[in-house]
Amino acid sequence: MREGFCALFKKDCRMLASGKFFLMAAGFLALYTAYVNLGYIRFMQMPPYNVYLYDPAGTQTEVSSLVHAVASLEAMDAALLSDANGVGLDASAEAVRVVLYAGAEHVDHHRADYALSLLRPSAGSAPEIIGTNTPEQKARKEITCELLFFELAAVGFLGIAAVLFQEKGMGVIRVHAILPLQKNLFLLSKLMVFLLSDLAFAVLLTLLNVGLADGAALLPAVLLQTAILSLMMALAGLLCALLLKDFRQFTLAYLIIAIFAATPVFLSANTSVKFDWIDYHPFYHVYMGLKNAYFGVAASLVYYIGSACAIALLFLAVQLAFRREMGKEG
Amino acid sequence: MIEVKNLTFSYGKDKQALHGLDFTVEDGEIFGFLGPNGSGKSTTQKILTGILKGHGGKVSLFGQDISAAYGPEFFRKIGVLFEFPYLYANLSAVDNLNYFASFYPKAQRRDVGELLETLEFKPDFLKKPVSSYSKGMRQRVSMARALVSNPRLLFLDEPTSGLDPSGAVLFRRIIEQERRKGTTVFVTTHNMMDADLLCDRVAFISNGKLVALDTPKGLKEKNSNHRVVIDYLYQRQRQTKTIEAPELEAGIPFAHDEVISIHSQEPTLEDVFIQYTGRGLS
Repeated sequence: MREGFCALFKKDCRMLASGKFFLMAAGFLALYTAYVNLGYIRFMQMPPYNVYLYDPAGTQTEVSSLVHAVASLEAMDAALLSDANGVGLDASAEAVRVVLYAGAEHVDHHRADYALSLLRPSAGSAPEIIGTNTPEQKARKEITCELLFFELAAVGFLGIAAVLFQEKGMGVIRVHAILPLQKNLFLLSKLMVFLLSDLAFAVLLTLLNVGLADGAALLPAVLLQTAILSLMMALAGLLCALLLKDFRQFTLAYLIIAIFAATPVFLSANTSVKFDWIDYHPFYHVYMGLKNAYFGVAASLVYYIGSACAIALLFLAVQLAFRREMGKEG
Repeated sequence: MIEVKNLTFSYGKDKQALHGLDFTVEDGEIFGFLGPNGSGKSTTQKILTGILKGHGGKVSLFGQDISAAYGPEFFRKIGVLFEFPYLYANLSAVDNLNYFASFYPKAQRRDVGELLETLEFKPDFLKKPVSSYSKGMRQRVSMARALVSNPRLLFLDEPTSGLDPSGAVLFRRIIEQERRKGTTVFVTTHNMMDADLLCDRVAFISNGKLVALDTPKGLKEKNSNHRVVIDYLYQRQRQTKTIEAPELEAGIPFAHDEVISIHSQEPTLEDVFIQYTGRGLS
């Protein structure tokens, strides 16, 4: 049995290597890391809006260094024309006048309040800070979590389905039906390859983007959540590839998962938008499990029991579909 | 080796594929299973190879009921050549065979290189991916895969499909060699020449029922009209006459100057099949 599993495992690795899967994963890792370190973190550290001040008499004495001084009202208009999110402050009269292109009402209030607060930086109240993460650490953990979720849910799902579609097309699944091996090993070796690949990806992505010390401390919890999501997505990918006729049908199924399943989860987990029904969405809990792992919050026992049951049910469904595929006509 | 009694199988409520088949295959026999598309021969082979479960009746292989024999031990004893050459297209012939052989105990495996040489596989292609092979080369690798485990029972589905005439002769010779080693061979085919030349006995299946079972010679004799056609010259004129074969025992029973040819009217296996089933094999 051990020798059979090793042969299957080696063959699956070769299939993935010949399909450039590992190369693609390495490429994604490099791309995500460049995006986080060269783009996202810098972007998150930038002020939310540019503020332009016209103060010919120099009445504002305590102005923040984030404010850009302009020489005339015409110059301020020109700046706002090219930067529609910017906020203009006209301090030529006694009361400071706020000038901006209208957006959404609540955002406009925020923009105005933010711009005015930069004229009196010392007058701001000091809020109580809870949690130990710096804004950069928080941003790094959030984006790493999102990218890992995307990688596991989309790329891993597509990858395992692509391998199985290839084997289905070559008809070799039927040959395994008459080989002296436990048929489940065929599925288990694929799950193992993807699980190990996903775990390695999670380790590298976390260490490269969260930082070595912080990342290493988070890894046990992150890897546990990665394993749960990786198994679920790999099993879902196997099931779709076994049940669906061709890659075109599979692409449709993938779009449905990507758009209708993942979008509300990201919205509910990362913004103030929260749908009433989101608690019934299984992806939401898996995503929150991963996010909580990055922020050191333990998941509940119910979540783990639910995940184990979901994995077991998916495996049973995959087994049935696999046996059906083995018995198909040539 | 194989004992089938009242075998039935149904793909759902109203789709009965097999209606009570009865046959046995002896140790070391080459047994042909012939039938048109949709007649139930693939279903029968799938039940015998342990792929399809849920049949009715009794099926024994190696003296053991098949429902108790679906484990790895059973699959170690059989080799299957499918109708299509199912191989990993991105791997070479050698890699494919080493991969499939790795599921069998080392002592049972045949040498992959020797096997491919026996099958006259082109040495230049040994390390090239299967995707670059012709149909005949893929069929050779598939045959090697079926033989690599030294099976005691060999299931061959259309073994000479995709081969040129010399390849077909080679395959028939290899199947004969296997039989001489004591291997039992169960051949499913449309090819009447294969069935006639190879098989000790053949069974005809039509609409899920066994309609005839005998040696190819026996079937042809049973269904022969025992007539001969004689071409001859008489008074410088070429003539043809059909007579009953026993009439020949006392010599040519009519006046003639010279006999040009005598042809028996023995039917071909395909003629016999059509007689039994009312339709051809394709």
